[in-house]
Amino acid sequence: MASVYTPAVQALIDELGRLPGVGPKSAQRIAFHLVKLPEVDALRLADAISDAKAKVRFCEVCFNVSDEVRCEICSDDRRETNVICVVEEPRDIVAVERTREYRGRYHVLQGAINPIEGIGPDQLRVKELLDRLRDHSVTEVILCTNPNIEGEATAMYLARLLEPAGITVTRIASGLPVGGDLEYADEVTLGRALEGRRSVDVS
Amino acid sequence: MAVLRRLSLRDFRNYIELDISLEPGRIVISGNNGQGKSNMLEAVAYLGSLGSFRGAPPEALIRAGQPSAVIRADVVSGDRELLIEAELVRGRPNRIQINKQKLGRARDLLGIMPVTVFGPDDLELIKGGPGVRRRYLDDLLVQLHPRNDKVRTDVDKILKQRNALLRSAGGRATPDVDATLNVWNAKLAEAGEALGRARQALVTALQPRVNAAYAALAGEGHPVSLVYEPDWLGLGLFSELERVRSDELRRGTTLVGPHRDELEVGLAQMPARTHASQGEQRTLSLALRIAGHHEVGDVVGTSPVLLLDDVFSELDQGRATSLLSLLEADQTMVTTAAGSPPVDGPIQHLVVEAGSVASRNTR
Repeated sequence: MASVYTPAVQALIDELGRLPGVGPKSAQRIAFHLVKLPEVDALRLADAISDAKAKVRFCEVCFNVSDEVRCEICSDDRRETNVICVVEEPRDIVAVERTREYRGRYHVLQGAINPIEGIGPDQLRVKELLDRLRDHSVTEVILCTNPNIEGEATAMYLARLLEPAGITVTRIASGLPVGGDLEYADEVTLGRALEGRRSVDVS
Repeated sequence: MAVLRRLSLRDFRNYIELDISLEPGRIVISGNNGQGKSNMLEAVAYLGSLGSFRGAPPEALIRAGQPSAVIRADVVSGDRELLIEAELVRGRPNRIQINKQKLGRARDLLGIMPVTVFGPDDLELIKGGPGVRRRYLDDLLVQLHPRNDKVRTDVDKILKQRNALLRSAGGRATPDVDATLNVWNAKLAEAGEALGRARQALVTALQPRVNAAYAALAGEGHPVSLVYEPDWLGLGLFSELERVRSDELRRGTTLVGPHRDELEVGLAQMPARTHASQGEQRTLSLALRIAGHHEVGDVVGTSPVLLLDDVFSELDQGRATSLLSLLEADQTMVTTAAGSPPVDGPIQHLVVEAGSVASRNTR
């Protein structure tokens, strides 16, 4: 079928359609919005993209997004160096940081094991994680991947890889939202929370 | 017991607008072919299972040319009065409300208003491939315990990932493939065994019920046997997956597990699929549905609404009468193109013509 758009618009729609969470309809809508925009506004977006691409890179240690060779967290001396929290994406670091509970370092895998998408351990930053553990200064690795099929599989893969090395490997708990009511919890989550129950500290 | 008090439809299949009150007992829906009798049952069944019992994709349920469809039902389930509303939107997830409260996930609707559907294709339960019988068991498991829906979808997702890995390995087991496969094996073993054990327990519970239902329908005592005994469930799925690893790598797909199981239905010690007569097969398929209906009613405590779609055209008078007497107490919606089915007592008659409905009550 011949395209109904001019080649330039079609190219724009195709590019937008490659973005995560953007379907064909949204791509078309954004494309026409951009075409209609005053030139300064459109170019500001274009500049922001090329600027980000030029300046932002991945931290050479943890693969978080960073302006420098090392990200702020990796270059912060006040943070503990003996714990590494392994996450799938840089945005997961933001989520963990918001808790202000965690003072260690991170490692971004840049994905999860997902054979359908062609992603295996080789496509993830697994080797780089192993390199970081080589000098034995890290005593605990917290597996903070998503609690879905792919995230769980990734966590299990890493646990099996790391356990023989004598490192403590922990997995974040799944359970009930704080401040919620039991009666509104779905059965799967509540079941998991029951599995992960612990004794009450009475001291 | 679940009772549907009122049903409203907007742009569902061929219905532009429909709003009818329903009686708690027998409801006979008649009309010529293609007027919308089954569509009405399909709408009710959608609220029970979030899908079409005719296997139609969600888009097919929305009236042609319209962006969305709405099913609204006043339901008394046990001692709760519920207003269930489902909106189906083209190309987007459906939206479900109960008593005007939006459900976070559509899945939470499962089990709220249980339905049992007897359809014209039910003969496939006996004549069709193993997949039809697996689906029969799994649909019942979800009705018995909505949590099973998660088990079932987990198994599906793991299988998809695992098969993708086996295909991409191209027959060679590198250390990387081996290590990743170990993880998927552990995941599949965990989810698969949970599903297998749940199916096994269900089959044990269904066995006496199917026997009783068959005897009552057929009026004779050929014993019915249900056998669900996958080898891997006894031997352990993990070790079975290890055993077939090289075969799986060669063929690029998962060769053992709950997705390949068979529920064997036997009649008088012979496989019903190949040895029973057409009439016996039809009666057996009804017996399986009745057994499931009673099991759900007893375990959940709420007897499902019964939807009988064009079932009587294939049954002789005697079997039709005993079918209805086995399903006595529950609200029952029956579609029929031919004459009235053999129902006595008070009946609500709905006459469907081109998507509009006239109602009258008789005694």
